[in-house]
Amino acid sequence: MSGRKNDILQGTLALLVLRTLASNKRMHGYAITAHIRRVSDDLLRVEEGSLYPALHRMEQEGWIHAEWGTTEKNREARFYSLTPAGRKQLAAEEENWAKLTQGVGRVLRYA
Amino acid sequence: MSWLQRLWNTFRPERVHGDIDREISFHIAERTDQLRSEGMSEEEAARRARLQFGNVTVQSERTRDVDIALWAEAHVRNVRYAVRTLSRTPGFTATAVLTLALGIGANSAVFSALDAVLLRPLPFPNADRLMRLSQTQETTAETNIAPVRLEDWNRLNSTFEAITGYGMEDASETSGDLPEKVRRAFVAPRFLEVWGIAPALGRGFAPNEHQAGGPSAVLISDRYWRRRLSGNPNVLGKTVRIGSAPFPIIGVMPASFLFPDRSVDLWFPVAMSNQLAQVRYATWYLGIGRLKAGVTLEQARANLAAVQAQLGEQYPETDRKMRVEVMPLKEITVSNIRASLWLLFGVVSVLLLITCTNIAALLLSRATQRRQEISVRLSLGATRATIAAQMLTETCVLALAGGAMGLLVAAAASAALRFVATDLPRMDEIALDVRTLLYTLALTATVTLLCGLLPAIRTSRDGLAGARNEAGRTHVSTRSSLQWLLVGGQVALSVTLLAGAGLFVRSFQELWRLDPGFEPSRVLTFRVSGSYGEMSDRNRLIQRIDGMIEEVRALPGVDAVATTIFLPGVPAQYESAFKVVEGRGDTETRMVAESRYVSPEYFRTMQIPLAAGQPCARQPLNATRDVMVNRTFATRYLSEWSSVVGLHLSTGDGGSPFGRIVGIVGDARERGLDSDPGPVVYSCFSAPNPTPYFLVRTRGEPAAIAETVRRKIKELEPLRAVYDIAPLEERIGDAFAQNRMRMVLLVLFATTALSLACVGLYGTLSYVVSQRRREVGLRLALGAQRRDIIRQFLMKGLRVAGFACVCGLVLASAFTRVLSRMLYGVSPFDPTTLSAVTAIVLVVVMIASLLPAIRASRLDPTHLLRDE
Repeated sequence: MSGRKNDILQGTLALLVLRTLASNKRMHGYAITAHIRRVSDDLLRVEEGSLYPALHRMEQEGWIHAEWGTTEKNREARFYSLTPAGRKQLAAEEENWAKLTQGVGRVLRYA
Repeated sequence: MSWLQRLWNTFRPERVHGDIDREISFHIAERTDQLRSEGMSEEEAARRARLQFGNVTVQSERTRDVDIALWAEAHVRNVRYAVRTLSRTPGFTATAVLTLALGIGANSAVFSALDAVLLRPLPFPNADRLMRLSQTQETTAETNIAPVRLEDWNRLNSTFEAITGYGMEDASETSGDLPEKVRRAFVAPRFLEVWGIAPALGRGFAPNEHQAGGPSAVLISDRYWRRRLSGNPNVLGKTVRIGSAPFPIIGVMPASFLFPDRSVDLWFPVAMSNQLAQVRYATWYLGIGRLKAGVTLEQARANLAAVQAQLGEQYPETDRKMRVEVMPLKEITVSNIRASLWLLFGVVSVLLLITCTNIAALLLSRATQRRQEISVRLSLGATRATIAAQMLTETCVLALAGGAMGLLVAAAASAALRFVATDLPRMDEIALDVRTLLYTLALTATVTLLCGLLPAIRTSRDGLAGARNEAGRTHVSTRSSLQWLLVGGQVALSVTLLAGAGLFVRSFQELWRLDPGFEPSRVLTFRVSGSYGEMSDRNRLIQRIDGMIEEVRALPGVDAVATTIFLPGVPAQYESAFKVVEGRGDTETRMVAESRYVSPEYFRTMQIPLAAGQPCARQPLNATRDVMVNRTFATRYLSEWSSVVGLHLSTGDGGSPFGRIVGIVGDARERGLDSDPGPVVYSCFSAPNPTPYFLVRTRGEPAAIAETVRRKIKELEPLRAVYDIAPLEERIGDAFAQNRMRMVLLVLFATTALSLACVGLYGTLSYVVSQRRREVGLRLALGAQRRDIIRQFLMKGLRVAGFACVCGLVLASAFTRVLSRMLYGVSPFDPTTLSAVTAIVLVVVMIASLLPAIRASRLDPTHLLRDE
């Protein structure tokens, strides 16, 4: 499945998920993928297979909190929300991202 | 997710798995909905959704692995990091592990003893239903039961499955080259049935073997079987010879069967139809009964009381005033050691607390040195919880290593205890088993929390502060005050232990310093095997015993020889109620006194002075016996008589004259050095039973003459065994085995505690000195004297220790009520002991403080200030 043009860069998935959860209080996994796709104008597509391991990893790190609930369609779903630690992590990752893009931009410009 | 929950998940993976599967199927369902709303057919939508997701099983596996791996990984990483960090400071690690090994080991060892002796049931099926039965009367301390009465109880009661009894005596077994002393038990019918134990080999007694004139039979112990019959499996039907009579072996008991006690090798059935067994005055048996299931102790007591009341009607002469006592057998077996074991357990727990405090203080100092590292990790994004978990992991690694070594310590200690304290009940049941292992594990976990929590929390907080405040010097004072508190706590607790130990030492010394009223040194004691069968020919028995007294007396180096039933100074009690025959008819009070049978030479041998009258003499068997009373008896009971000598005494129940008082002797502490002498009546009779103790007053070392005595007896009585041969002082000492063990262990633990506290004090003071090097350097540069520096640090240590001493003594006084029951001749507030303990602690503390203080004064100011 690698090599698809809209694959998300390794390591940025967490940033995207955190950011998504920061602006939306409580979301399930499917809604997160849908949200990222919609907001990025279909540019970014989260691969389902890597989303859930990532969500669980982030839960273990204590950045997000998960609980079972029901959707409007009355389906059982696992809802995720941001923890204070996650908010801090988001700030750190945003800063990293800014530095990264800045650095990459410079390289592209001057190299 | 809490770590507990994660741990739970690790062990219950199917739950997590279910969660993940549910989550994924939800995702696929949503996707299907969406695809369908875009116009796809139901079937196609479901197919596409699944395809898009990839292999569901693999995905769910991956997700689950993340859950567990992350958790495990974090811990493995912590453990690896902890091991690496600890191995970088081998000195610290070794100290901590050894200290913990000592603390945990001592605690586990005492726990294993406590568990085996007090907590576990006796090693019999449904042992909680086994009861000790005895008959009690106001007129006598004799509680052994007449066989005929035992049978009555067994027949008439409704609360016991069965009641049986046993008696013991020493005999000599003569099938080998040399006669060997063996201890045998005479058992009533139903013996094995009550215990619920079957022989490992062979069978129990048949009913006809309990009949007079029935076939003879003997059960042998596993020990005897292995030692004398080399474990021969074809042993049934072989014979054991007691005296000249052969007894066929019908069975071998299992090795675990150690009742009545471990010294018994042979069990013989008693014929209950025997003429002698019908005498209601007889006192043969220690009674044992097995309660029916569901019967309470109270019901059993009430039931037997009713049975006895019924017997009282039937046999008013003998049974009217008699009562039955029922006590749980385990209670009787372990009651005398219970207080000692709990005391020891308390002591080792305090020791463990000191150990933990010590480790906590060490960890705190260590954490301060690692502040740099922790600040860096915090600024790199580690959370406080991560740091605290890391610190706790380190403590846990230390505690586990300490616990593992502690088990070795415990194993050694248990072995030593079994070896040293053979006289105490149930000692051979002590073993390091799964329970002890689990206990040690639990202890290790507790220790981890006790030692590690405070440093972990504090370190992560200080690290945070340190990260914000680069200088961090301002925190020194607050941090070390906590350490001083910990050190003070250690010193206080060790003062408490030392005070207790000191009191025990004093009490033990006091025991030997008292005038016992007799001369215990240079006396050899021994016994010569005999059998109760000899009681049928009293004259011959008396002749034999008196003959041996004569012959041993004639040996070179021997000054005097006597026999006695109870050893002087070794706890034993046999009380009777007496009446003055001449005063009969008056409403006189019963004179309860200890009744001792001794040969006439006893007073000369033991050097008990004659106060009035004549020394007693041997009287013919049917004549009135000579009796001596001690001074307490004369003054307490006979003060209204102008002349005590010449009065006749009778025992309360029988009525026949007991003897005629011929003299008064001085008071002696016959019942044990720790009991004040009470009234005693000595009946001058050398052979009241076939195996009295012989007392030999020697001119030189008593042990030196033992071989000569042994050879002489062998020459006189080749078929008899000499046993229990030991100097009297040793036997009196043995009587205080528990006392001594308690004292030795307490001293051992208290000194360990003090040394730990000193290590803690030394460590903390060294740390404080290193923290304040700049300050010291500055002061030295400004002209402070090195003496002042030393004094400053020394005083710091002493101030803490002084305060701790006060706290420790206050704490000790809280335990005085527990202690005072175990102390003799010393008040729990004994000023000598308490001030000596305080002095010792202060001196030791001073030594421990001096080193760091001197090191501080030796600092080179120029060097230090240049470093700044």
